[in-house]
Amino acid sequence: MSEMLSGAEILCRALVDAGVEVIFGYPGGAIMPFYHALPDHPRLRHILVRHEQAAAHAADGYARASGRVGVCVATSGPGATNLVTGLAAAHMDNSPVVAITGQVSRPMIGRDAFQETDIIGITLPITKKNYLVQDVTELAEVVADAMAVAVEGRPGPVLIDVPKDVQNQKIEYGAPRARARGQSRPQTPGAGPGLEDGVRKAARLIAGAERPLLMVGHGVILAQAYAEVRALAEKTGIPVITTLLGISAFPDGHPLHLGMPGMHGEVHVNRAIQHADVIIGIGLRFDDRVTGNTASFAPQARIIHIDLDRAEIGKNVPVAVGIVGDARDITRRLLAAVEPRRCERWLEHIRGFVRTRAESYRGGLSPEAILASIYEASHGDCTIVTDVGQHQMWVAKLYPYQHPNSHITSGGLGAMGFAVPAAMGVHLARPSGTVWAISGDGGFQMNMAEMATMVQEGLPVKMAVFNNGYLGMVRQWQQFFHEKRYSCTPIWSPDYVKLAEAYGIPGYRVGDASELAETVGQANTQPGPALVEFMIEQEANVFPMIPPGGSLSEPIETAPAGATGD
Amino acid sequence: MPSAPPSAHTVAVLLDDALVTLNRAFGVLRTRNVPIEGLALHPSGTAGESRLTFVLRADAATADRVAQQFHKMMGVRSVMVLANEDSTTEATR
Repeated sequence: MSEMLSGAEILCRALVDAGVEVIFGYPGGAIMPFYHALPDHPRLRHILVRHEQAAAHAADGYARASGRVGVCVATSGPGATNLVTGLAAAHMDNSPVVAITGQVSRPMIGRDAFQETDIIGITLPITKKNYLVQDVTELAEVVADAMAVAVEGRPGPVLIDVPKDVQNQKIEYGAPRARARGQSRPQTPGAGPGLEDGVRKAARLIAGAERPLLMVGHGVILAQAYAEVRALAEKTGIPVITTLLGISAFPDGHPLHLGMPGMHGEVHVNRAIQHADVIIGIGLRFDDRVTGNTASFAPQARIIHIDLDRAEIGKNVPVAVGIVGDARDITRRLLAAVEPRRCERWLEHIRGFVRTRAESYRGGLSPEAILASIYEASHGDCTIVTDVGQHQMWVAKLYPYQHPNSHITSGGLGAMGFAVPAAMGVHLARPSGTVWAISGDGGFQMNMAEMATMVQEGLPVKMAVFNNGYLGMVRQWQQFFHEKRYSCTPIWSPDYVKLAEAYGIPGYRVGDASELAETVGQANTQPGPALVEFMIEQEANVFPMIPPGGSLSEPIETAPAGATGD
Repeated sequence: MPSAPPSAHTVAVLLDDALVTLNRAFGVLRTRNVPIEGLALHPSGTAGESRLTFVLRADAATADRVAQQFHKMMGVRSVMVLANEDSTTEATR
């Protein structure tokens, strides 16, 4: 049975029909009809953020934690442009986000109207698809199509721009068709002789390898191929490396787990890559932070690359065997094709590369000690959302992840300010679990206004701020590569304890390791949000480090001569 | 790994005849830094469909990677790579 509905009502109904339960947004002029209709759809819980960037990051966090589409809403002009960083982050990390933006009315488009921006043009390179809805009769189909496009194949963000007059237009509304008209879609790779041939070749390479490695990326988490990857590793005894976005795809304490590779990877991990004769890469894109200089990356290795996206095969590194498909499906096939084997001599060889470092920290407040206290307070059962910088690398290297998909970070874009809003999205996806947002003092100040969102919406996110008084990673680069000229990296912070209290949130400050267990434990058990500031060593560095564009074989393991702080 | 010497490749892309799709296609050329030497856009002869043809001078592997970037783009219906100088001339005339 059909009825007369406005475009805004259709938009709400289409979101409900698509199974959407949470929307992160901020109202404004061109999206007001949508907000007028929203209260009639109580199934759509709206989270009022304090900046649209946070809406996009929160939708991204929700999507990564739930595997479902995260939805954010903004008005035209500045509302829409504020979403851009969040959409770019979702695009780089393959997170299914649908952004809905208001647009000026159709007769005003192209006239430089108030709050008019060509958000379609702006977001073209950072979305899988975007739509300017010019006809209200297509609106419901567009929403259904956008929700499908965002999750299928290699996931990513989609934007729907809806002019205000389209939102107000009333039409007779019936059930939408499954797909928008005339829209063609890329083919999803399926099984075929090429695939079987690739699996056979890969199995042969693995059988003949003396020093094989598994490199596991975000694709394993997206495909939920944890059990298959673990079974493959255990059947063959091949050691496993997890990229930044692959962390938590494989248990951290597993005897075959080596750690993270690349710019801040441990020496033994990068040395293993440089000595490997076969690398099986599953669901990663061999980006420059992983490979360093590609000309000297894994010089002895023949690479088997498994990826859902055909365009990734051979994009950054030459491959011996490329297999296009879902990580879970292909790993399962590979598991059936390989013979059981062990790699004890190779593992022993890698263990010989392991370096131990003795670094001292003020008050014993080492990153290890802080992260151990969070692990213990949460009994190892929480989701960690990190920002970008030194703390991000410490968490990636040191936190003992046990549960799949329990580490969420902005990897590809490296967007500071990600952690706090993304953690709000993670909480809404996993309301019964604990979420810790870990930031530096720089990134935290980018989106700390979201504490108000947490209080208003009842989101019990636990926030850890690593305060070293610097934009730490940039300062480290200045120390190593720019003659220790600390240009514009010292950063003042407010009193975070008082700030938290001003928001009605319990705030704590830790300056000594002896306070960790009790304070972090207290914060962890707070029923609502809580903030803990850790006064860490000001000039601590993340070691080892491969210089940008350098070889994985040549790590920096100590601060350059003449530099202080290490 | 030594790469083959660059040669002319013609890439023909059939795609939805919608401004936003065409805009996205041109964006791929720009964001992927594709070394194009010629570009043409025509109706394909099928209603609602355009043919974007461009020439790039690159090795075969690069041409294939460019084709794959188009292949995965929403709104693209098919992608064809021709490594034939005659076809190149014909397509860009």
